[in-house]
Amino acid sequence: MPLSTAFDYESVLQQCAKGERRALMELYEQEATRLLTVVMRILKNRPLAEDVVHDAFIKIWKNAGTYNRELGSARGWVYTLTRNLALNALKYSQREVLAEPDFLLDLCNDRVLASACQPDDITDLADDPLHQASLQTCLEHLAPERKLCVLHAYVDGYTQQEIAKLLDKPLGTVKSWIKRSLSALKECLQ
Amino acid sequence: MNKDTHHTPDIDSDLSGQYVLGTLSPEERSAFELELAGSVELQKAVNQWQAHFLSVTDKLEPITAPQPLSARIERTLDELEKQPSNTTTSASTPNAFLSFWQNLALWRGISAACLVVAVVMGIKLQTFEPTLSEPTYIAVLVAPEDKTPGWVIQTSHTNQMQLVPLGAVEIPKGKALQFWTKADGWDAPVSLGLVKKGETLNIDINKLPALTENQLFELTIEDETGSSTGKPTGPITSIGRGVSI
Repeated sequence: MPLSTAFDYESVLQQCAKGERRALMELYEQEATRLLTVVMRILKNRPLAEDVVHDAFIKIWKNAGTYNRELGSARGWVYTLTRNLALNALKYSQREVLAEPDFLLDLCNDRVLASACQPDDITDLADDPLHQASLQTCLEHLAPERKLCVLHAYVDGYTQQEIAKLLDKPLGTVKSWIKRSLSALKECLQ
Repeated sequence: MNKDTHHTPDIDSDLSGQYVLGTLSPEERSAFELELAGSVELQKAVNQWQAHFLSVTDKLEPITAPQPLSARIERTLDELEKQPSNTTTSASTPNAFLSFWQNLALWRGISAACLVVAVVMGIKLQTFEPTLSEPTYIAVLVAPEDKTPGWVIQTSHTNQMQLVPLGAVEIPKGKALQFWTKADGWDAPVSLGLVKKGETLNIDINKLPALTENQLFELTIEDETGSSTGKPTGPITSIGRGVSI
């Protein structure tokens, strides 16, 4: 399923801002499953995850007027809002902290889970100007341990303390790995 | 391009990556959000980072959202529409992009929600000895708007369910709070009775179908004698789901 290419997130948010409820339901159809997946991965608690997704849609509805095209990716906006709600919900919900290095690394290995547009290997990807700035490619340049830090933070919503404990590394090391990884990613993405 | 200004866009945009990852400390996060509220550039950077990282989570095995979730969202929207002049929800007209990032009510609500655990534990401790045996099922009902905890539901082996207010309860004149529950698979919510100001509501759970995980509980504002339709019609003041413990 195409995830984000054909759907006009920007227009949908603008319609929501005008009070067109149909637009919010279109966004729901398009994104609710993905949002729930992301939130569920962080919270590991289905009822709470559903509550957060509910709240996220209400908040999207109320705040759609604060979005404009100048702010860039509307899909990014939707997820920032939703992930913030999920990360906040973590404060009053216990969840297990698990190391799943293979699973996480597979998420950014294009060969594992085939999606619509997938070249055969990384070099092809890098040569393809359309894909030159993909995060997936840039993540490949990070050492596995550093990549894991970034993925645990983003995909699992783990704190740096949790990651340090999980990987059995000093907190300072994890912090500096994450900072440097972000700088490297930023450079690569430009 | 902003190299000559006093601002330090490089540092800020690094922080935007960390903000998206969720690795800023609460203090750094609040400070960053204040800055974010006033900066289109930073908001753009945050949305851009988010869009990049989404390519990773887009590969997670999807979990299908249950149908009732969209119905629940629609219902909340109905309620929002019904209360345009509601004075309790301030900022009904969101004020440019500041409102999202600077939503103090939200942050306060969240810190209040952090208290929930403490409060629940406190109530558990208080109620263990004198009246109830150990709670077996519990739910915290929070305001849908800002997650402020308002009520706790607990049941015990004594077959009583208690709805306990956590603070002062404001009920508009001529109105009442009606307590509802709905488990997955039920067609409609069932009324558990009307709540009086400052009172703990006790319900005999033998009169109810068995409580289930994830069962929804909510309080709505209805006419003094309760909803005439037998279904919730007024705005939700508190909502939450039950868990067995």
